Amino acid sequence: MVLKLDTSLLDRPAFTHSHRDELGEDAQIACHASTPGAQGFPLPAVRELDSFERQVVEMVKPAHGTTTLGFIFEHGVIIAVDSRATMGSYISSQTVKKVIEINPYLLGTMAGGAADCQFWERNLGQQCRLYELANGKRITVRAASKLLANTMFSYRGMGLSMGTMVAGYDHTGPGLYYVDSDGQRTQGQRFSVGSGSLYAYGILDQGYKWDLSVEDAIELGQRAIYHATFRDAASGGTASVYHVTPDGWKKVRGDDVLDLHSRYYPKPELHPTNAVEVL
Amino acid sequence: QYKHYKQFDIFENAVGRPSSSSFPKHLQRTPVVCPCQISQAIMSIFEYNGAAIIAMAGKECVAIGSDLRFGVQLQTMTTDCPKAYKIHDKLYIGLSGLGTDAQSFHQQLVFRHNMYKLREERNIKPTTFGHMVSSMLYEKRFGPYFTAPVIAGLEEDGTPYLCGMDSIGAMETAKDFMVQGTAPESLYGMCESMWRPDMEPEELFETLSQCLLSGVDRDALAGWGAMVHVITKDKVISRTLKGRMD
Repeated sequence: MVLKLDTSLLDRPAFTHSHRDELGEDAQIACHASTPGAQGFPLPAVRELDSFERQVVEMVKPAHGTTTLGFIFEHGVIIAVDSRATMGSYISSQTVKKVIEINPYLLGTMAGGAADCQFWERNLGQQCRLYELANGKRITVRAASKLLANTMFSYRGMGLSMGTMVAGYDHTGPGLYYVDSDGQRTQGQRFSVGSGSLYAYGILDQGYKWDLSVEDAIELGQRAIYHATFRDAASGGTASVYHVTPDGWKKVRGDDVLDLHSRYYPKPELHPTNAVEVL
Repeated sequence: QYKHYKQFDIFENAVGRPSSSSFPKHLQRTPVVCPCQISQAIMSIFEYNGAAIIAMAGKECVAIGSDLRFGVQLQTMTTDCPKAYKIHDKLYIGLSGLGTDAQSFHQQLVFRHNMYKLREERNIKPTTFGHMVSSMLYEKRFGPYFTAPVIAGLEEDGTPYLCGMDSIGAMETAKDFMVQGTAPESLYGMCESMWRPDMEPEELFETLSQCLLSGVDRDALAGWGAMVHVITKDKVISRTLKGRMD
């Protein structure tokens, strides 16, 4: 008696043109490279696409542990971020680069899924370069953030997790836009994103003035991140500060939060969260 | 390196210092505010507050250390909440897990030990205490205290006693070290590589402190300083450590 092996799963690839037709309009658009920037990604070959996507969203969702902030003032844009990545309560890294340098005059921050942020902001960099080559001039921050937001919208509901600020300088002046994976795109003067954003807002809102000097603005951004790393368990590591001017961005600070703590509270016993008698 | 220690106090024949059954003072004044915009689903009831406790044995001495953070999920409230409590001069218990259960259970233990002292006219032995804790936890088998203890003490003849339990009282004694908390893997890794037998009190303190501070650097829910007690035959030395505050 011959044992017959079932090789039906090797017969044809899971994803072919005929399979694509079954999936429906929306999925086809997502698969197609319809906009110049959007890539054509194959959809997972599962029977129940919706519940699979929901599970993916649940898997990525807890990863918003971070603090990033940005604000516009008289002398440009300040972007400040922490550098911690957590998986649940485990700290996976204290040295994550959360500011993505899209090009010498555009910056994007990272909050949410690291892979999503890195990939799509690099993709945005590609699109900006293609724009430059096609039009012979630099892209505006407004247009760049619109490109990113449109890309995010086309993948809406598929489990991407990204909350980013696109900041830069163009011929109209400084620009700061908040773009996230739900497709939201908001222009503003002050933003903070992540689990530590509420603590950062407290410091930022209290110390902000339009006509801050460059040094004071950098110090404000750094202090806001420091206070967020103190209170928020999912933020920490180093506080990096970037300053964007008409000539482009420049990284101006990268101090470890421990050094900042000893600088702001040289007598730790006097810190407000420390009772007078510890024992 | 950033780890440096401040010698807090030395207790000769440590008597008279009240035990730190401290209800965090700030909570009596101000209501707790939740960062409600960013709603964190609770991962586990044991990770609601966060803790890190290590106990180590040396040559006729034991040491127990804990972090100082008091927090609610991701928010840090205060940095003055040690988790190792004194039972008597030669016996300390560290309670990890849910903060409220740790406090309540500690209050039960203080009561039981006070009654024991009245009846027996002496302090309780570490071994006896360990078994008492184990059966107290198992009494609540179907509605447990969400706290896992680590007990460190010195027997009459000076031999160290270390034991750890889970939240329903499964007891395990050890000759080297015991850890509990929200990042046991990090702490185990550090202890496993740095512990050596027969360490003197000063060396034991150094080792435990390094293990604790490095271990909590990989834990988002514990840290913000540490406190270490080194128990020897004639005194208890307690030190507060400066660590990373993020």
